[in-house]
Amino acid sequence: MEMLFILIPVSIVLIAVAGTIFLWAVNNNQFEHLDKHGFDVLEDDSGDNS
Amino acid sequence: MTVSTINVPDMHCSACSGKIRSALQTLAGVDATYFNPARRQVLIEHQDQLGSLELLKSIEAAGFTPSLSGVEAHDQRQKALLKRLGIAGLAMMQVMMAAIAMYAGDFQQMEESYRRLLEFTSLIFCIPVIAYSAMPFFTGALAAFRTGINMDVPIALAISIAFTISVSNTLSGNGDVYYDSVVMFTFLLLGARYIDSRLQQRFATTDKALAALPTRALRINGARQDLVAVPDIQVGDRLWISEGAQIPVDGRLAGRAADIDEAVLSGEADWVKKTAQAPLWAGTINCGPGFEMIVSAGYEASRIADIAALADRAQLERAPAALLADRIAGYFIPTVLMLATLTYIGWQIFDPDRAIVAALTVLVVSCPCALSLATPAALTAAMTRLRDLGIVLTRSSALEQAAKIDLALIDKTGTLTVHEPTVTDTTLLNAEFDEATCHALAGALQQYSAHPYARAFSHDASIALDEVEVVTGKGVRGIWAGHRVVIGSASFCATGSDADRAVYLAVDGVARARFTISDQVRGDARQAMDDLAELGIKPMMLSGDAPARCEELATKLGINYLARQTPESKLAFLEAQLRDGHRTLMLGDGINDVPVLAAATVSAAVVEASDLVKSKADVLLLSRRLNPLPELIRVARKTQHITRQNLTWALAYNLIAIPIAAMGWMPPWLAALGMASSSTLVMFNATRILR
Repeated sequence: MEMLFILIPVSIVLIAVAGTIFLWAVNNNQFEHLDKHGFDVLEDDSGDNS
Repeated sequence: MTVSTINVPDMHCSACSGKIRSALQTLAGVDATYFNPARRQVLIEHQDQLGSLELLKSIEAAGFTPSLSGVEAHDQRQKALLKRLGIAGLAMMQVMMAAIAMYAGDFQQMEESYRRLLEFTSLIFCIPVIAYSAMPFFTGALAAFRTGINMDVPIALAISIAFTISVSNTLSGNGDVYYDSVVMFTFLLLGARYIDSRLQQRFATTDKALAALPTRALRINGARQDLVAVPDIQVGDRLWISEGAQIPVDGRLAGRAADIDEAVLSGEADWVKKTAQAPLWAGTINCGPGFEMIVSAGYEASRIADIAALADRAQLERAPAALLADRIAGYFIPTVLMLATLTYIGWQIFDPDRAIVAALTVLVVSCPCALSLATPAALTAAMTRLRDLGIVLTRSSALEQAAKIDLALIDKTGTLTVHEPTVTDTTLLNAEFDEATCHALAGALQQYSAHPYARAFSHDASIALDEVEVVTGKGVRGIWAGHRVVIGSASFCATGSDADRAVYLAVDGVARARFTISDQVRGDARQAMDDLAELGIKPMMLSGDAPARCEELATKLGINYLARQTPESKLAFLEAQLRDGHRTLMLGDGINDVPVLAAATVSAAVVEASDLVKSKADVLLLSRRLNPLPELIRVARKTQHITRQNLTWALAYNLIAIPIAAMGWMPPWLAALGMASSSTLVMFNATRILR
């Protein structure tokens, strides 16, 4: 069970990485307009011809 | 006078709004302040010389973070909440795993070194939760020193007491730790705030409609089209509205015809056909081919902005029931703090080990927010629903009254009927042409005329006319397949007989048909009257017209009527009804209805009504139909029902949960879940009105 003294600190580092990725994702609007892409197929123009 | 809307995202309770109100009242030039707790907005009526910067500064000085742009501020707040919530969630998973291991260890004699390892692991995961995720509770509670007590105080107290005791026990190596409670309180309470904030977003859809107005438009400049910013558009500019585009400002149609979706203003799904010079409203959408328009007003003066301002006033006015709930909530928090202290002292006497947990549970389980949100949440949902139906409430207290209405007085001309001439009767004076041909010919000729009656005829493209000539004040003449066709007054068509409100058609000098024109009854009037009767409301028509005309319409609609009414006699009748204990709704359109509207329990106006009437009315019907009227009553009754449910639930929850927590019968996780869900339940219940 001495392994825990290594594994738990490793898990802390992993969670820190996960937390950083999550913050990055929110800051880069990955959770914005979750429904939007479903509607993309219905849009006619690609937006650059206006 | 100017009206400014300011968002204050950290305004949580009545104590906060009280502080803001007193801070603003010290400023010279502030006339009135209204609050919308569900949207966290303050609406301030103030003198022109007082700038919004001073308003923002004074709210900031009171300990809040105000901002002007609503949608953006809300999105930013939502993002920050999501980050805090995500971090708390990740930390909670780890701390709970450690906690389960420690619970199991208590039974199976865990070695001290492993126990210490798990305690320190929990502490490490707890630090970002305290330092980052729980920050809004701490800043909120700190603001209490400046602004007076608020609902963040018990939460911050519970979290910080539990954390401090746990840290000190971890470092000293004996005693219990409560890291699991710390992260769980934080996660669940943040979760509730996140959900509440998502629901608020659903309520704010009309704001979004306003915010979604186009920012740029195509201005026609000779042969060129320039892209210009909407604020730079001047009255008189010509704009090109392409197919599917939203109209950026109010104006008039310069082309011949257009199909417009006006749902954003009227709630009506059908497209409206516009003819040349017809008014176009900002926010509506062009559903047909592109056209030119001439700008008649800037954005601030547009109709959608007017309606939004009226609706905002209503949202910010507090209904009496909400004020009462706020007062109760104000006494509530000090009481809870006192109860928690008493719980701690009581348990110290009987069982000191459980004293901390029981006191923390009392702090966390109490939920004043459910109480103070109960009414505003339901009201805001109701207003959003009414907007979708094409009804604007300009005074929120009217909704409580509308639920109790039992008599509806309705004006005839312009209300039950539309100011839109229609051909109600066609008489053939000569058998040579059938009725369809006569209508087609009349329509083809009338499209050239600007006379009000001309709108009564529909244009038929199958008839080709040559040499058309409009004789102002008389009629139109032209050549159709070699025949001389003429439409207009009796004298213009060379016929002897002349009837009231009639238009004649002559072909080759012989009168062929007589069209009788009169105002049209609103299409769904009968249905609306039946619906009202079904709701237990007696509809009654009041009119200044002759009894014969009233009789005809009243029979058609199946309602009672009073004919030859003056504004005075209408008012006398209404007052008599009010004395008899009836609660009365008055629906009208003209200046002559103003006294009656002012005296009625609830006053409503149709959208074509004059501006004075609209500014006095509690309710505006934006669509050209009457069926929103019974819908208004239905929504009002449903809102009343849901508000009562919400208040009952919030009171019952607190009265039951606090004693249970004080007795030590409630585990801390259940307390946090209970508090989080009780306010979210209130918000969810309110959203039932939206359906």
